[in-house]
Amino acid sequence: MKLSKFPYLVQAEIFGNMKTKDLFWLSFVSKNMKKMIKSFQIMRFQSISRITYNNFNNKWYVGILFKKKTMWTMENCMGMNTIMTMSEHLDGTKNVFKLNVTGKTIGFRVSDEFPLPKAYFHPRVPEAFFHPNLKESAFKAIHNYISDFFGDTVVYQWIAKSYKHFIPQLPNLSLWVTMRPHCPEVTENIEKFFASYPNIKHLSIRWDKLQSISPESQFYQADSIRIFQPCLPSLQAFLRNFKGRQATLLKCECGFVELIKFMKRWRSGEALQNLEYLNLSLTFGRHRNEVLSANWVKRTTATKRPPTHSVADLSAPEPSYKPHTDPIISRTYIVRETDNRVASVSIQGKTFSFGVWEETEEEFLRMLK
Amino acid sequence: MSSTEQGTSSAAPAEPTTAPESAAAPEVPESFYYVHGKDKVVHKVSAGALQHSALIHGMISNLGYTEEQAKANPFPFENIDGDILQMVVDWCNQHKGKPTPPEDTNLPKQKEKLFDLVLAVNYLEIKELLTYCCKQVAMMVKGKSPEEIREIWMIPTDAEDEAAEKEAKKRAGKEAAGETAAAAGDAK
Repeated sequence: MKLSKFPYLVQAEIFGNMKTKDLFWLSFVSKNMKKMIKSFQIMRFQSISRITYNNFNNKWYVGILFKKKTMWTMENCMGMNTIMTMSEHLDGTKNVFKLNVTGKTIGFRVSDEFPLPKAYFHPRVPEAFFHPNLKESAFKAIHNYISDFFGDTVVYQWIAKSYKHFIPQLPNLSLWVTMRPHCPEVTENIEKFFASYPNIKHLSIRWDKLQSISPESQFYQADSIRIFQPCLPSLQAFLRNFKGRQATLLKCECGFVELIKFMKRWRSGEALQNLEYLNLSLTFGRHRNEVLSANWVKRTTATKRPPTHSVADLSAPEPSYKPHTDPIISRTYIVRETDNRVASVSIQGKTFSFGVWEETEEEFLRMLK
Repeated sequence: MSSTEQGTSSAAPAEPTTAPESAAAPEVPESFYYVHGKDKVVHKVSAGALQHSALIHGMISNLGYTEEQAKANPFPFENIDGDILQMVVDWCNQHKGKPTPPEDTNLPKQKEKLFDLVLAVNYLEIKELLTYCCKQVAMMVKGKSPEEIREIWMIPTDAEDEAAEKEAKKRAGKEAAGETAAAAGDAK
């Protein structure tokens, strides 16, 4: 059967009926084929939200997440969202073949090592394998191929479950890092890590010595941060130095004084200029009255419903599951002195939420219903 | 299923046998048309079954043939093998007036037959059957390595593509040179 003998529209229909991972492997057959798939599948590739590189058991899984939940579910539930894996190991090698991946020859195998039911979660996809010393260049070649194939509408996301894991230095690769350094870990090592990877998109961290990180560290510039159990000095340092967009701090030891200080700093416009959303879950105290009693905290009229604040959640590992931050509906708000922009402030039980609007106070008040 | 008999290449086709009707007898007598492929075997197919084919449906919608006229003027599809046309006719009969199921497992498993069926179905513009066939073609390479895919679909390598491109350029160059020479000759 010669595929090229089929009319153009029939070839397009065949490609349309193929799983994304099969199209990906088809693209390796020839340059012309790759070009043709890219031109036929523009819509499908534009519906991809993220391509993730995820490490699990010494193996990297390259997966696809679609923007629409339905598409994501369809492929994912069938174990189809993994398009390939990468590994340093050479054990149990079967069906070895070599491919030219953006100019670098890389060995592959089709692994059938997983018996059912594990195979359901580990679909039979080709696996690139390479010597540990060649890891960096192999990742680079593979990422370059993938990003050229799927295009620049996709977010390419490297998910590292530890700062000690290998993370390649590649352009257009968003970093999602989870860090649980041991208590004795020296600050220098942590700072070195942040200096090496200045463009972290999301960081999830638990460390008792966060306050020891320099205010100039790239740590404070991560787009989105989730911190577990920050002690008071850590929390104070964080609220003073954070330059990113979204932060969630869980189980904070935080009094109302810190909250008022934070709001004052934001209000003055001297810090936290990029902040969109802050959520603190507090371990103790009910600070509602103290925090909201400051005379610069304003209230909307009781007869009208305040607008709901919610922005795209940068911490969501899968945007189709939780696309937006938790909604904030609050009558209390503060206004930034430098540009007159508004932030909604809410305290519900032990949760402090702070959502910054694009709108000025005048525009914000017009949104009341 | 429609039954057939070997036809001849003469203008008057052999008497075809009637395809049994899957639907209950309609109140208005149904009209029938006749088609044949490369092998000249004539198939009698109801207008209802032929509705699946946008091409044939377009051809017959304004004809207003009587039974005799239709029998005397079968639609020739010389580019379609007899057994492939038989498959298409069977499919149209089986799915006459019914919603098409999400999958069709009765398609040929042999690569070459499926290939011919795709071309025929595309030519006859039978959208649903084309979708089934394309799904089946797509399934052929599921979970296969690039080299296995190349073999199954006979996809040329980069080197072969380049050689073919060079050859095409050479040919085009020669043709252009020939045309220029001919034009110069005419001018003289």
